[in-house]
Amino acid sequence: MNNIMIGRFVPGDSFIHRLDPRTKMIGTFLYILVMLWANSWASYAWTAIFVLGLIRLTGQPFKLYWDGLKPIFWLILFTVVLQLAFTPGTPVLYRLGPVVITTPGLINAIYVMIRFVLIILMSTILTLTTPPTSIANALEMLLGPLKKIKVPVAELALMLSIALRFVPLLMDETQKIMNAQKSRGMGFSTGGPVKRAKAIIPLLIPLFVGALQRALDLANAMEVRGFRDAVQRTKYRVLHYEKNDGLAFAGLFVFVVVFVVTKRLF
Amino acid sequence: MTQAIKINNLNYQYDDTQTLFDDFNLTIESGQWVALVGHNGSGKSTLAKLVLGLIAANAGEITVFGVPLTVETVHEIRGQIGMVFQNPDNQFVGATVADDVAFGLENQQLPSNDMPSRIDEALNIVGMQAFKDREPHTLSGGQKQRVALASVLALAPKIIILDEATAMLDPDGRDTVMQTLQALKARFGKALTLITITHDMDEATLADRVVVINDGQLILDGTPAAVFSQRDLMHDNGLALPFAGELAAQMQPAPANYLDERELIQWLSRLKK
Repeated sequence: MNNIMIGRFVPGDSFIHRLDPRTKMIGTFLYILVMLWANSWASYAWTAIFVLGLIRLTGQPFKLYWDGLKPIFWLILFTVVLQLAFTPGTPVLYRLGPVVITTPGLINAIYVMIRFVLIILMSTILTLTTPPTSIANALEMLLGPLKKIKVPVAELALMLSIALRFVPLLMDETQKIMNAQKSRGMGFSTGGPVKRAKAIIPLLIPLFVGALQRALDLANAMEVRGFRDAVQRTKYRVLHYEKNDGLAFAGLFVFVVVFVVTKRLF
Repeated sequence: MTQAIKINNLNYQYDDTQTLFDDFNLTIESGQWVALVGHNGSGKSTLAKLVLGLIAANAGEITVFGVPLTVETVHEIRGQIGMVFQNPDNQFVGATVADDVAFGLENQQLPSNDMPSRIDEALNIVGMQAFKDREPHTLSGGQKQRVALASVLALAPKIIILDEATAMLDPDGRDTVMQTLQALKARFGKALTLITITHDMDEATLADRVVVINDGQLILDGTPAAVFSQRDLMHDNGLALPFAGELAAQMQPAPANYLDERELIQWLSRLKK
């Protein structure tokens, strides 16, 4: 349960930690967009160097990032195998019945793997250095213009931050229910996949009932503390762009320029 | 004395069939510490929800500082009453302690610049200042309840209701919360009306007045000493006396009237001579 890295925040005081969450979100999205546009070894190399540089800047050990990659290892492997086996072209490197491995297939497979790894690394940088509430807060501000077309941005952001706040609690509760059921002879890690999937059902029901009860209690607690709607509220945490954010945007600009030049030349 | 809460001829039914309150009346004076006691399902928590307008009564009138509770006044009334609930986890809205205290202030649309000082002040009162940036899952139950109390205090309510706020805590957590409440009462005095809903009689002894309800009926109402003298009536309603009271009742010879822990110790030491 503890190896789930998605959304895990590790406090710190690095350059990246101190950036405005909006800067980090814009940077992450821009990076991923640009990176998907890469098509040569040189352009992939540049995007990889950039991410590794950012990882150094966060001051966190690389192991944390490696842990972030592990959960999607099988997804990467699956995609790589598909690319490898089903890309037509010449020259053919290896043939086994209907499966043909070609040079373009091999290159594509490696490209896809690099893309996956870079996207995960970049988003791990964001979640590792930014508290979940700041992400929700930044999202609310960045999506602000959508309020004009009646998207309930404030409500969505509040829902997101409350959902994130309840993740550790629900994890604990899952563990408790599992332990209670294990102590009465339920096996979660034995039997075939069907049996294991069936064992999940008696786990989900108490978890859902508990979560609904929590939701009702929380609604009462929020109302009593004067909550009426998410729009007419002031904010405790106000975001400010600082000098460092200017530097970060300048860095992003350099990244994009070098990327375009690399793409043209090599 | 002004009346903080006045409940007149209250009627309330569950599911439109089961009557809980039938012509219920209760007046709570401003500045009092009132313990509302009763066993599970006696209606004490429902009463708190009715006063806050979280559920609607079938008939009757509830007034808070002279303002009758209606759909129009419910938000104004909630601004005067703070409530701490039983489950420490289910009332923690913010991602950190400070964010949670800020939640109510944000709802009141307090300017962002004024928030840090209000948050610090409230956390100081409950002694949780050092935990300002901690996340809820790193706190103990007692600490979470003190944060909940700070969240309520930041809104400067005239009435604070604690609904079984110590029921899910370990003895240490319960002690710290009760100490915090006593400190609050000492600090705010008559400016704060405190209502503790509980079935822990040792908690109820701290109050100025104890109100016992069962099945929506008012059974006993008086000072802790007066209420706890009625041992048989308490037992009939599924309640025990505080530890000192139960102990005294088992003794031969027994003291003539109800004594709290300190008085019982004095009585025992006189007996020895």
